[in-house]
Amino acid sequence: MSGSNALARIWAVCAKDAAQEARRRIALASVLFFAATALTLVSFAIGPAGFAKEERGQLHAAMLWVLLFFSSATGLPRAFVREEETGTALALRKTAPGTLVLAGKTLFNYFLFVAIAAVTVPGLGVLLGWEVASPAAMALVLAASGYGLTVVSTFLSALVARAGQKNVLFVLVCFPLLVPLLLSSIAATVAAAAGELAGPPMRVILAYDGAATCAAYLLAAAAWEE
Amino acid sequence: MLATTLEARELSKSFSGPPLFSGLSFLAGAGLVAVAGRNGSGKTTLLKILARLLRPENGSVRVAAGDRELLGEERRRAVGWAGPDLAFYEDFTARENLRFFRRAAGLPAAEAEIDARLARVGLAAVGGRRVGAFSTGMKQRLRLAFALLMDPPVLLLDEPTAGLDDEGREILAAVVAERRAAGPLLLASNDVRDFVAPDQTIRLGR
Repeated sequence: MSGSNALARIWAVCAKDAAQEARRRIALASVLFFAATALTLVSFAIGPAGFAKEERGQLHAAMLWVLLFFSSATGLPRAFVREEETGTALALRKTAPGTLVLAGKTLFNYFLFVAIAAVTVPGLGVLLGWEVASPAAMALVLAASGYGLTVVSTFLSALVARAGQKNVLFVLVCFPLLVPLLLSSIAATVAAAAGELAGPPMRVILAYDGAATCAAYLLAAAAWEE
Repeated sequence: MLATTLEARELSKSFSGPPLFSGLSFLAGAGLVAVAGRNGSGKTTLLKILARLLRPENGSVRVAAGDRELLGEERRRAVGWAGPDLAFYEDFTARENLRFFRRAAGLPAAEAEIDARLARVGLAAVGGRRVGAFSTGMKQRLRLAFALLMDPPVLLLDEPTAGLDDEGREILAAVVAERRAAGPLLLASNDVRDFVAPDQTIRLGR
């Protein structure tokens, strides 16, 4: 299998998921609704002047990643679960290896994460008066952390797709696996909001991304194929 | 072209109960292989194991072109399968479904190519219709198109006549007549009329 052929197959899976989403809008609608609801409640509960300025950085960063984590947990598991529920998993397994299917679905979920972040970050800024001194550093943190979050979530979706109580199982397994990433993401977000690109948390995030990619690649066949 | 063979060695499978089959071995070359047996005898399970959609508890399956065993992607493409629980994306048209599966398999998916495959199973006129609006028989024809999608030398058809009208049965009979000379064609059915002069019979559940 040539590299360009593999990329075309990954893109085919991603484009198929995007076309399905464009027709039904289930995942996008549910995650954006969740994010909007959470943002509104938080803004009313805390408000722009609810905390001293020096405390706000930590609070806003933690709030952002709580929102991103739960919004993602609402929409990303659908990647593989939907294939099992509708019975299309057999046709997909017969057509493409698990690694390529996982890569295609991860790519689509990454686009979904970008859409969530595009709503959540400006939303926090407007509703809570959060100012980001370095938008470029913030974009980098979101891109790197979002990648790790998406890879792990999509892989776990493949793992739990055939289990009972899959939604509960997904969140229960997801949480301990994502805690190291989320803690580093919060630290890197605080720094980016203050105008810096924090080295140590970014190194942890990038190392996590690398480890998650390797693990997902090596275990994709075991998780998805028979 | 080298002759393709499908060989099962000592296959066993059970689902929390007595084994559906145990120590099942056979070698299939070009020709029609009838997989017969009563309901629940393991016909669907056997075909899924041969298609690598299910793991056997014991034993192995070997697909070979001449003396060379086919592995990985080559093997995936060499074995076509269609069964009752094969489902399609209901929001997509039949044409979109076949196009996607061709692309996901890394094969060309030009319009003419897809249209020819739909025409082969008598679905050319409804290729632009959503699969969700298809009747049982139309879905069955689409399953046949899926099994043939990668032009596999080995074909596994599980209850392919279920829900088909007379025209659908004629299309299937033409495919079977053509493909049985090209490689192993395993056809599982409860209806003995589906087996036209089989070259080999595997009887399960005795």
